[in-house]
Amino acid sequence: MLISCPAGADVSISMRLDREEATIADSISMVVSIAGARESDTLPVFKNIEDFDITQGGTSSRFEVINGKVNSGIDYTFFLQPQKTGTFEIGPVEVTVDGKTYRSNTTTLKVVKQPESSGADRGPLFLTAGLSSTKVYVEEQSIYTLKLYHQTRVSNISLDLPEIEHLTFRQLGKPVEYHGFYNGRSYDVVEVRYALLPSEEGICGIEPSRMKMTVAQPGRRSHRGFFDDPFFSFSTGRTMAVASEPLELNVLPLPGKGKPSDFSGLVGSFKINSKLEPNTIKAGESVTLTVLVNGRGNVNRIPDLKWPEPDHIKVYADEPVLKVKEDAKGLSGSKTMKWALVPEKEGRYKIPSLSLSFFDTETHQYREIETSRLCISVLPGEVKQVQASPDHSNGQKIEGHAKKAVKELGHDILPIHTSIKDLGKGSIIRPGGLILWSFFLGPFFIYAVVFLGLKLGKKSDRSLATLTAKKAAKEFIRKCRRDGLSSSDLTLYFRDYFNERFGLSLGSLTSEEAAEILKSEGADLDTARKILAILKGLENAVYTGKGQKACDLGEDASQLVRQIEKEIR
Amino acid sequence: MVCFLGPDIMALQTSESEELLFSSNQAYRQGRFQEAIDGYGRLIRSGHKDGNLYYNLGNAYFRKDQLGLAILNYERARLLIPGDADLNFNLSYALDKTQDAVSESQDLVNMTFFWLKDLDLGKLLWGFAVLNFLLWTTLLIRLFFKFEWTYYVCLISIILWIIAGASFGLKWYELNTDNRAVILEQEVNILAGPDIRDTVLFKLHAGTIVHYERSEDGWSLISLPDKKRGWVKAGAVEPVMIDCKPVFTAG
Repeated sequence: MLISCPAGADVSISMRLDREEATIADSISMVVSIAGARESDTLPVFKNIEDFDITQGGTSSRFEVINGKVNSGIDYTFFLQPQKTGTFEIGPVEVTVDGKTYRSNTTTLKVVKQPESSGADRGPLFLTAGLSSTKVYVEEQSIYTLKLYHQTRVSNISLDLPEIEHLTFRQLGKPVEYHGFYNGRSYDVVEVRYALLPSEEGICGIEPSRMKMTVAQPGRRSHRGFFDDPFFSFSTGRTMAVASEPLELNVLPLPGKGKPSDFSGLVGSFKINSKLEPNTIKAGESVTLTVLVNGRGNVNRIPDLKWPEPDHIKVYADEPVLKVKEDAKGLSGSKTMKWALVPEKEGRYKIPSLSLSFFDTETHQYREIETSRLCISVLPGEVKQVQASPDHSNGQKIEGHAKKAVKELGHDILPIHTSIKDLGKGSIIRPGGLILWSFFLGPFFIYAVVFLGLKLGKKSDRSLATLTAKKAAKEFIRKCRRDGLSSSDLTLYFRDYFNERFGLSLGSLTSEEAAEILKSEGADLDTARKILAILKGLENAVYTGKGQKACDLGEDASQLVRQIEKEIR
Repeated sequence: MVCFLGPDIMALQTSESEELLFSSNQAYRQGRFQEAIDGYGRLIRSGHKDGNLYYNLGNAYFRKDQLGLAILNYERARLLIPGDADLNFNLSYALDKTQDAVSESQDLVNMTFFWLKDLDLGKLLWGFAVLNFLLWTTLLIRLFFKFEWTYYVCLISIILWIIAGASFGLKWYELNTDNRAVILEQEVNILAGPDIRDTVLFKLHAGTIVHYERSEDGWSLISLPDKKRGWVKAGAVEPVMIDCKPVFTAG
């Protein structure tokens, strides 16, 4: 599948060496990387390379697609053979891609004499240690370089550094591998560098560092067999340990003479720069003052600079940003401090300079550096409410600008409460308040009254019905005791009893009607049947012309009504 | 120096109180914080136990760098106006300035009834009263209309009534058993016993909130949430509860 490099992709060129210091006998590998192109019109052309013999080592091309983005490039490898000792600035390298010439960075290489042959052959595997400077001041860094020389293949390398009080080791970058010479013999070299930061004066002995590794043993068999393949190296390796030579570091105290009062312990070489953006604004707008301190040394000791607030300018400080870099030469870095300045009135304001003291390791004395004097011109104009933040240079609203978290610029308590209500009465909770209690008790009382009223109403209705029933039964029984009671009379008495007892207004009462009424009112079926039988007998007597004759059912009828009253309550 | 001025309750007329409040506010604004402290203190002692007055007093103490007294008065204000946003902001800010890391663990009741910390007793009582009214009204309606919806309305009303009642009860209990106290002095030694010759167990600093247990012979027994306990001179610690005598500085 062919994927073409996108047209107009950014082309960049860089150059790097495999080490920063070499002996005159060494062959130094240099890689020229062209990013953004898969081929170049010409081979790289070198500047300042007269003191080296150069041979081409090969070309490799890179092509990768990450998240749909195509990255491609070419790496040219060259080997430099120094012709003399000294410090050389190599480069830049020029390459022409699509008719356009690109330039790389430059790099520095120090070439030293080959060490005098000690006569002693150190064998195929050994470790050396060296210090960039054996005499340093407190907090000044010295570079501790460990080099593992090996002629056999090694793997699984681990390192034990000595533990020394008041001395901090800080690794500088990743270990580098290259090819070199020692005592005229060719070796593969693994180099690792550390920055040593002493915190107390005195002679500091550095115990040997130890490296442990697995060393391949190709000579164990007379011929290369299947298991001599590096893939199976675990079965052929031997664990070995090598130690470096002990060293001594003389840590000098920082001189007391001339020590500035604001000295923060910063040691190294530093610069300070400041800028003001913009220089001219309208009253009420803000400008950003940026101060950058950068250099090489213990950068974490760069102090937060204090800024004397001038009259009529409000100052809002941003959080300082410290960046620490580690390279082969040691620790370096920068601290960026920003302030948003908001002049209150129009005019011309002088910004006082900010100073910083440090101990210069090159001149061996204290130095004070300061920012240049700056001025703001404030023109009359409409006073705007600005968001005072160093990142918003002039307080103007930028369309489509990404929102940022609100940054706290100051801390304080909120003001007093002046509108205190009910001061005359106080504001203690008063559970005895009439309205409150009426809310609590009022609904309960209303509910209770209504509930009782309903209960009582039901009870009185029932009492009245009971009284009426008693009265009707009593009247019926009284009538039944009369002498000369006939069937017609008894029929009428039954009708009157039913009308009064059950609140009816019947003109006549049949036996079936009477039985149904009793059943519906809850009387026993037997009682209903009895009344049915009695009334049927009475109806027969009336309809057969015996209605006026004396009847002897009075006592039975009375008993039956009593029974009805018992059953229906 | 901390001193107790005693129960000099003065019956101030309403107009006098308003005048005193106005002049105290003016004093505060003009940076005469001691004058403001005296004025707010006089108002409180005359019976105006208002959360806003405690808040203002706390502010004035804060401005005078008396962190312990500031936190004490903010806490007292919180008993009366717990939901006040300004108060909670200032109290939080003042507590940030304290030196001792003492944190009160949240119990299950406080986590369940999470609204208690933002509501004062009066609001809870009124809430309970309104729900009480709602409950009996729905029960009354149910006497006449026995529909399904009246049943559910009654059920919901009963649940809300129980929650409101429990909230009120818990708050009442919390206020009546609040034994918190505030360290007033910049740094105090907490001793193993109520005697200056006793072993120093630990040190506390101004503004730290502790639990007050009891007092003996001018010494107070205090404890911390992590079970540390010890004795401190009575004047160096002051209970938060409002019915205790307010404390004012002489200068």
